[in-house]
Amino acid sequence: MKLRIPQFGLLRTRLTVLYASLFAIAMLCVSTALYVVVERNAEAQVRNELIASGTIFDRLWMQRSTQLRDAAGLLARDYGFRAALATHDRGTIESALDNLKSRLGLRMAFIVGIDGSVTGIADPATAREAAGLWSALDAGATTGVVSLGGEARQVIAAPVLSPVLAGWVVFTTDLSRHEMRALERLSAIPLTAAVYQRQPSGSWVGADDDKRTSTTAVDQFIETTIRNGQPSELDVDHGTSIALAKPLPGMPGAPRAVLLLRYPMALALAEYRPLQLAIALTGIFGLALVIFATWRMARSITRPVSLLDDAAGRLADGENVSVPVEGRDEIARLAASFNRMAAGIAERERRITHLAFNDTLTGLPNRALFHEHLDHLLKQAERRSGEVALLCLDLDDFKSINDTLGHAVGDELLRRVANRLGEQLGEAFVARLGGDEFVVVLPLGKTQGGVDMLARRTLEAIAIPMHIGEHDLVPSSSIGIAISPIDGNDAETLLRNADLALYRAKASGRGSFCYFEQSMNEHAQERRVIESDLHHALSNRELELHFQPLFDLTKNRISAFEALLRWHHPTRGMIAPVEFIPVAEETGLIVPIGAWVLQEACRQAALWPAHIRVAVNVSSVQFRRPGLGTHIVQALQSSGLQPDRLEVEITESLFLESAEETIKLLHSLRALGVRIALDDFGTGYSSLSYLQSFPFDKIKIDQSFIANLLTRPGAGAIVKAITDLATALGMETTAEGVEETAQLSELRAHGCSSVQGYLFSRPIAAKDIPTLLKHEGDIRAKAA
Amino acid sequence: MFEMRPLAVIAALFAGTVADAADLDVQIRTPNGGPVRDAVVTLHLVRQATPLPKSSGNFAIDQQNIQFHPLVSVVPIGASVAFMNHDPVRHHVYSFSEAKRFELKVNERQVNRVVVFDKAGIVPLGCNIHDRMIAFIDVVDTPWAAKTDANGNVSFHGLPAAAVTIDVWHPYLRAPGNQVSRGAALSQGPARRESFTVALRSPPRPPDAGY
Repeated sequence: MKLRIPQFGLLRTRLTVLYASLFAIAMLCVSTALYVVVERNAEAQVRNELIASGTIFDRLWMQRSTQLRDAAGLLARDYGFRAALATHDRGTIESALDNLKSRLGLRMAFIVGIDGSVTGIADPATAREAAGLWSALDAGATTGVVSLGGEARQVIAAPVLSPVLAGWVVFTTDLSRHEMRALERLSAIPLTAAVYQRQPSGSWVGADDDKRTSTTAVDQFIETTIRNGQPSELDVDHGTSIALAKPLPGMPGAPRAVLLLRYPMALALAEYRPLQLAIALTGIFGLALVIFATWRMARSITRPVSLLDDAAGRLADGENVSVPVEGRDEIARLAASFNRMAAGIAERERRITHLAFNDTLTGLPNRALFHEHLDHLLKQAERRSGEVALLCLDLDDFKSINDTLGHAVGDELLRRVANRLGEQLGEAFVARLGGDEFVVVLPLGKTQGGVDMLARRTLEAIAIPMHIGEHDLVPSSSIGIAISPIDGNDAETLLRNADLALYRAKASGRGSFCYFEQSMNEHAQERRVIESDLHHALSNRELELHFQPLFDLTKNRISAFEALLRWHHPTRGMIAPVEFIPVAEETGLIVPIGAWVLQEACRQAALWPAHIRVAVNVSSVQFRRPGLGTHIVQALQSSGLQPDRLEVEITESLFLESAEETIKLLHSLRALGVRIALDDFGTGYSSLSYLQSFPFDKIKIDQSFIANLLTRPGAGAIVKAITDLATALGMETTAEGVEETAQLSELRAHGCSSVQGYLFSRPIAAKDIPTLLKHEGDIRAKAA
Repeated sequence: MFEMRPLAVIAALFAGTVADAADLDVQIRTPNGGPVRDAVVTLHLVRQATPLPKSSGNFAIDQQNIQFHPLVSVVPIGASVAFMNHDPVRHHVYSFSEAKRFELKVNERQVNRVVVFDKAGIVPLGCNIHDRMIAFIDVVDTPWAAKTDANGNVSFHGLPAAAVTIDVWHPYLRAPGNQVSRGAALSQGPARRESFTVALRSPPRPPDAGY
């Protein structure tokens, strides 16, 4: 059998209940055994006493019978009495009987004559009953229990021989309650004695019971016990008794009689009650003691376990815990192990946390920790109605430094910038999000002036020149600032907005900072829409090339068309290149789009007269990605265009990044016969070293110079210088954005080889080119 | 049977006066056939006066070994009975009978006391000193009376040939008055035979042990 112990929340309760239960069961067994033994013992004792009492009663009965018979015999032999009887001297006889009655304490004494006469009983009815004894007496009976005068009585008779039988002297003793009381007093135990007589109906009734009531229990009991003579239990309405029925000698013809000795069990057990109570009290006291002792003991056992349990719970909640180690037992060892384990967990957790939340390169907190910290600060600020400033910082042109000087220098630069930020912004939270992106988080006081100062200080700190390896670097950075809750009250929004502000800062020039404005957000959203739509623009054939003619001033004819990309957006209409080209460059979409442009431009150019070239703008992004050379070759091959009819226009920015690779590619293109033009010359750095590093076929003078040509003094000189320089280097020049005839004549005067602009033609669709060429004369007329 | 003799003599005396003498043999048995000795058989004439017996004669009851001897005596009415104590102790002989109430308070050794029984009836004798001593005297008013011998038989000779009542008495006979009676018509010729079957009680013994 499997013992099922109920589940407890506390080990201590469980131990206590278990031990207390076991003890209780043991105590119960012992108590029950003792109780039963005591009860049995009491019963056995009562039985023995009852048997002894029965024997005593027998002896008493015999004594009394003998005494009375002796007295009766004495009377029967008295000569004078016999003489009186013989002479029928009634007075003498009765006086003699009365004398004897008072002497022996008898209620009744009488003579039954041999002739059946009765002397000595006044009541005629009783006398008749007494006369009924004759036959029993004549048969020789001398003693027994009879019913006489309505009561059970013992009769003792002695024959009167004078010398022949003249009659009997008969004495009777009562068997009433009173007489039984006397008998009971002689017993060692407080039993009750009663005489029962058998009725003609078979039932037994008490001798002094006037109503002659009987009970089945008593009837059965008497019938059983007079046969076996053993005491046994008798259940009557007074409760259970141990009882013994002793048959009494009867007179022939008289109802049978028994003496019923009864000892109530309750009375018998009464003297054992204190013992039983003592056993019960001992049990209860013992149980209480065991519960108390077990509870105390269990506490000493379970206290360290409870402490461990509690500590384990707290450990699970992430607390740093340790438990006291007491003693040298298993629990102490467990506690020690637990402490080691908890310490190990804490150490590992610290390391993991550090790894998880810190940037390995700079040791600054990483993006995850930044997010957590920003969330935390935002929540705190929300409660206090405070503000949090988020500064997004990145290094200007970090990419080109990385590309030109190598990753080791780039990494070192990042480390130093991180150090400077850490030193400079001790009070703020600084994190590196990746690449050259850094963020600074700062809960704000009342004024926003603090942020301005912080941003300026940061920019200045970073801009201090540094020496890495053999390189002298002057880092510069831009900062975008967003402030919660105005610019967003969650980390994501705030970071995005700070990024937008950074974008603006970058756009407005290096080494500056910019606050976020809501319009940036709208602009950014616009960009996102463009970006997503641009993905489908190519496959949906929404892109189209327009062409703007370049007019050769020396040959006085159209020498080339510059291919310009147009996007017919299905819902937004025509979208300007300035809006989507930067997006295409950022997303890398410029590569497939650029390939398509090359293909399409070459295909169209192949249709034109052989002296007309096509100029295609190629983004620096295209140069950085592999495949540009292949795209150009494929475009030429599939269109069958002569390589020298293709002119690739690049910008100066191309040389800022991986100049070496770029130049190599440019040389290989030149080897094919493709012409290379430097676009937008005059803006940006316009380093003359570029002109030296690669032999461009053409320089395109930026339209800003052309626009100012007539108004700003010196602009003409610059254009003259550029054309002179180009001529000296053997390069052609093209002036862009020519809108007025005055500009044209000025340019012609400066020796510019070709012009491009609205003065001649807007960019036109490919299908309109034949028409334009047909009316080339109009253009020629404008140039004239 | 020396007691018989006087009675036989008495019978002979009357023989001459009553014509035609008859004989009677009476036999008394217990139900199982045993003889009943010491039963007294008395005859009385029916419808005529029975003559009185002669009271002369010597009758004696001895007290010897704390006992009366004989147990049963038949004496004619008016007879004198001598009580002789042969024991070395005293006896106090008494009788509370209707027929003769008397007591011989101190009957010392070898002292002969005489009591005259002048009334017919049974006289039980007892000793007030010794309970077990008992004897019976049947004082008869008829000349025809005798007690059975050891065989339970008694014979009468020379009886008148007439109707008689035969009474049989024994101290322990189980019948009212310890007596049974029967009528019989006597005639000359061979002896008439009458048989009685009677039950006897055991002699009452004074209770001296047990209960």
